[in-house]
Amino acid sequence: MAIFRPEDEEQVREILAGLERPVELVVALGPEEGPVPGLPPDFDFGAETTRVVEELCALSGSLSTRVEQEPEGIGRFPAVLVRPEGREVGVRYDGLPWGYELGSLVGAVVEAGKREPTLRPESLAALAGLDRDLAIDVFVTPT
Amino acid sequence: MLLAYRLALASPRIRAAAVEASEFRALADEMDVAAVPTIVVNGAPRWAGSVPERVFLERVLAATSE
Repeated sequence: MAIFRPEDEEQVREILAGLERPVELVVALGPEEGPVPGLPPDFDFGAETTRVVEELCALSGSLSTRVEQEPEGIGRFPAVLVRPEGREVGVRYDGLPWGYELGSLVGAVVEAGKREPTLRPESLAALAGLDRDLAIDVFVTPT
Repeated sequence: MLLAYRLALASPRIRAAAVEASEFRALADEMDVAAVPTIVVNGAPRWAGSVPERVFLERVLAATSE
């Protein structure tokens, strides 16, 4: 099954055409959590994530993907690491990006594809003084 | 979600992850996720719901003073 409806696919293709630099999507595979209500107990989230990311990457010459088994520092699988020009910058999607949340992955790609930060100048000034590491996890659902 | 990603891209000190709540149910329960988006900073749940950039940044940075 295609991940986008034909009309959506065209729109995503156009959005991705605006990428200003290459973005690599690393699919991190490892032990999965277990069954999710409404899905078969043997549903392979890793395989499905790999497929979704491959289909997304087929829509733009600026996107590439590869699979890594249990990369260091990643504790939830599958995950998609979004890397501008192949650099690890701490942008990640944990789980299978599908439904509404496919938009979050596309959003991450679009943001990573920009050469300049898109935050307000005041925000950038506040971040410049940051002297501790921060890990932000945003819980989302695809429906 | 995009705000969190923008912060991570703007600062080497920040990393941001979307976490699919139905797939990581045990963790979502541990973080008292009852609505989405729920924002967790450095392992502690902070708030639920979308907020403007200024508020998002204020709340995230508040976690650094704890």
